[in-house]
Amino acid sequence: MRPPADAIGTLSLVVGAIAVLIFIGVEGALVFAIWRYRASRHVAGEPATFERNRRLEIAWTAAPALILAVIFVLTLGTMAEISGAGVTPAMRIAATGHQWWWEFSYGGVKTANELHIPLDTPIDLDLTSADVIHSFWVPELGPKMDMLPGVTNHLRLSARRAGSYEGQCSEFCGIEHAWMRIRVVVQTQSEFDAWLAVQSKPRTTVETDAEKIFLANICVSCHTIRGTDAKGTAGPDLTHVGSRVTIGAGVLENTDANIVANMRGWLADPQRYKPGALMPSVPLSNADLDALAAYLVSLK
Amino acid sequence: MTAVPLWVRLPARERVGWLRTVDHKAIGVLYIGMGVAFFAIGGLEALLLRAQLATPEERLLDPETFNQAFTVHGVTMILLAVVPLLVGFANYLVPLMIGAPDVAFPRLNALSFWLSLVGGIVLYFSFLAGGAPDTGWFSYAPLSERAFAPGTGVDYYILGLAVNGAGTIIGAINLAVTILLMRCPGMAISRVPLFVWMTLVTSVLILGAYPALTAALVMLLVDRQLGGHFFDPGGGGQAVLWQHLFWFFGHPEVYIMVLPAMGMISEVIPVFSRKPIFGYGFVAGSSVAIAFLSFGVWAHHMFAVGLGDTENAIFSATSMLIAIPTGVKIFNWIATMVGGRLRMTTAMLFAVGFIAMFVIGGLSGVSLAVVPIDLAVTDSYYVVAHLHYVLFGGTMLGIFAGTYYWFPKMTGRLLNEVLGRWHFWTTFVGFNLTFLPQHWLGAVGMPRRVFTYAASTGWGPLNLLSTIGAAILAIAMVIFFVNLVRSLRSGEIAGDDPWDAFTLEWATTSPPPPENFASIPAVTGRRPLWDRKHPELRDAP
Repeated sequence: MRPPADAIGTLSLVVGAIAVLIFIGVEGALVFAIWRYRASRHVAGEPATFERNRRLEIAWTAAPALILAVIFVLTLGTMAEISGAGVTPAMRIAATGHQWWWEFSYGGVKTANELHIPLDTPIDLDLTSADVIHSFWVPELGPKMDMLPGVTNHLRLSARRAGSYEGQCSEFCGIEHAWMRIRVVVQTQSEFDAWLAVQSKPRTTVETDAEKIFLANICVSCHTIRGTDAKGTAGPDLTHVGSRVTIGAGVLENTDANIVANMRGWLADPQRYKPGALMPSVPLSNADLDALAAYLVSLK
Repeated sequence: MTAVPLWVRLPARERVGWLRTVDHKAIGVLYIGMGVAFFAIGGLEALLLRAQLATPEERLLDPETFNQAFTVHGVTMILLAVVPLLVGFANYLVPLMIGAPDVAFPRLNALSFWLSLVGGIVLYFSFLAGGAPDTGWFSYAPLSERAFAPGTGVDYYILGLAVNGAGTIIGAINLAVTILLMRCPGMAISRVPLFVWMTLVTSVLILGAYPALTAALVMLLVDRQLGGHFFDPGGGGQAVLWQHLFWFFGHPEVYIMVLPAMGMISEVIPVFSRKPIFGYGFVAGSSVAIAFLSFGVWAHHMFAVGLGDTENAIFSATSMLIAIPTGVKIFNWIATMVGGRLRMTTAMLFAVGFIAMFVIGGLSGVSLAVVPIDLAVTDSYYVVAHLHYVLFGGTMLGIFAGTYYWFPKMTGRLLNEVLGRWHFWTTFVGFNLTFLPQHWLGAVGMPRRVFTYAASTGWGPLNLLSTIGAAILAIAMVIFFVNLVRSLRSGEIAGDDPWDAFTLEWATTSPPPPENFASIPAVTGRRPLWDRKHPELRDAP
């Protein structure tokens, strides 16, 4: 199966070429008329008085109709192709939009904001929303699809280049709509399997003092860390939060060098980076913040 | 002339007169004044938006302010600027063009204006009452439900739009009845000027479309204030229902805003080509076709909602069909110019500018009817570019053409042509610089309605270009306002018929007397004034 983005790309080229030809024709005729019939070229005589021509009217009704008929047939073909009719997806992933982050569930194994998919494999996303309407869009992967509360929509994805693709929510969903970014990581099947195996495990560390800070505060009412008593579901699952490339759905980009500082800054005051986000600032001592940030980053 | 504003120079009795007038011309001027004022406000809001987006991760506006600004910008430009401007011109011109002394219901006419204005004031009162609406002009449920929009902004949006809409509906009834019943002797419906035709079609569109919006607004108000669940999936409602109702109004609304401007340039182009309009019947008939089709295309705003391939294919087909009557109009305007004697006045410049820019908006519109392309670029800056090519490149340029053309009739003075040319060319450059790059921004992934974007996206340079364009556009509007004010005070005296025009409004004085015509005219063709001035060249009846 051709990736949907390729099918849309081909169709866009065809429609774009037709549009450019029409643009040149019509604008050319307009400019020619302005130049050829300007009053300064004609000092004497009355202008022409023709004001109707049935054949011309029929011609410039029929010609666009024919062009549009061709475009419509191409449209139907591409619609069938990108919806993946007749191709069984290799995997289904549930994607849920939240104000202002993404939840991805691989048969119950939950992660956030980073969607990993295997290379060259048709995947179906089952899309829904936990609150308002969101829309899943990764431009290089092609079409977008809305996520509506109470409804499950489906989107066929397939990528033929390994690597990282960026996208973001494209339906206005409230104050932090701009910072609801998605990262899609396309991996070879074996890399993907290894990643999923890690994500499927509960947290691998033993309970530390830092973890106790997490469990003793309101963190647990919204977040889950599998393997501990933290079982909140309003916010992202943090079991492997240290493996993610961003914090706050894209608002902070992590590197090995800055990830602890990013995490600490975010914990200290999320509203500074993402004003309006639903995560409150938790009053913690500096020492506790340091410990908590290091602990969360250790959850690879 | 002293520098005292026109308003103050008026005797006290006349100042009060503006408040209680039922004269269609005075009400037309009030509508236009309202439109100009809100156009300036909406423009300032747009400048704030562009300033915030000029560079990545800019912190000029906080997200809440940005969201309020783009919401109010959309509502203001569509419902409080463009529609009142067009209704104002129709109010002023329709009775004059059909040889009538006034509209059918002059008192109702005053009511519709004041309702429209009060609706706008109610919307803007939200700023003082705790915050403007921040859910977009489309105000999608459930984001607009109380659970997610707990402030009063959305309530003011509902009340403001409902009151404004009631005014618009009443005005449409008035104009339709006027056109159908008050034409002077000989003015068959097949002879009325095309601006009048377009106004009639637009009035019918308003009567079909606005009630759907009013119903949706009432339902949303019930949800928000009385605990209803029309659009709340948690209570058995449907979020998508709002979108169906809103776009059943929203798409015809596009033609409500475009058709009268098409009517304006259908008056301007023949006069400055010194030829009758080419294909009168087809230009008028294609408007009826557009109006009919426009009630069957709303779901092309919803291709990404997941209605299903069958529904999407049907709405794709109807949306493509609407391009055909639109194309017919463009071809007829160009054919009108062919063989003519073109006087490139400012009015004519804006009229051909309309055609040139509307072609771009029309072509990008067809691409959005192609479902797979729409799924890629809907809700992105590509759509922002498209809609501004239609509503600014189209409608606003048409309104500017109409302003340069009819300002002398309304005020007795010509607008300055030198400033007019500056106005046109700065508009042309500023407009294209603002909106052309947005096609690319959308295609590479910049969504609409984002208050900022990450530097890593690489969208910075094109956004900066777009903001520079907006600044140039702002300069163009300043030139326009200077021209308006200067010409109002000391413009060249126009006389009754400065353009050697064709239609009846030019057969009376500038500005016309309260009763419009000394005696009700009788006509025998589509160009009554031309026939009167050139009996040897008169049109065949």
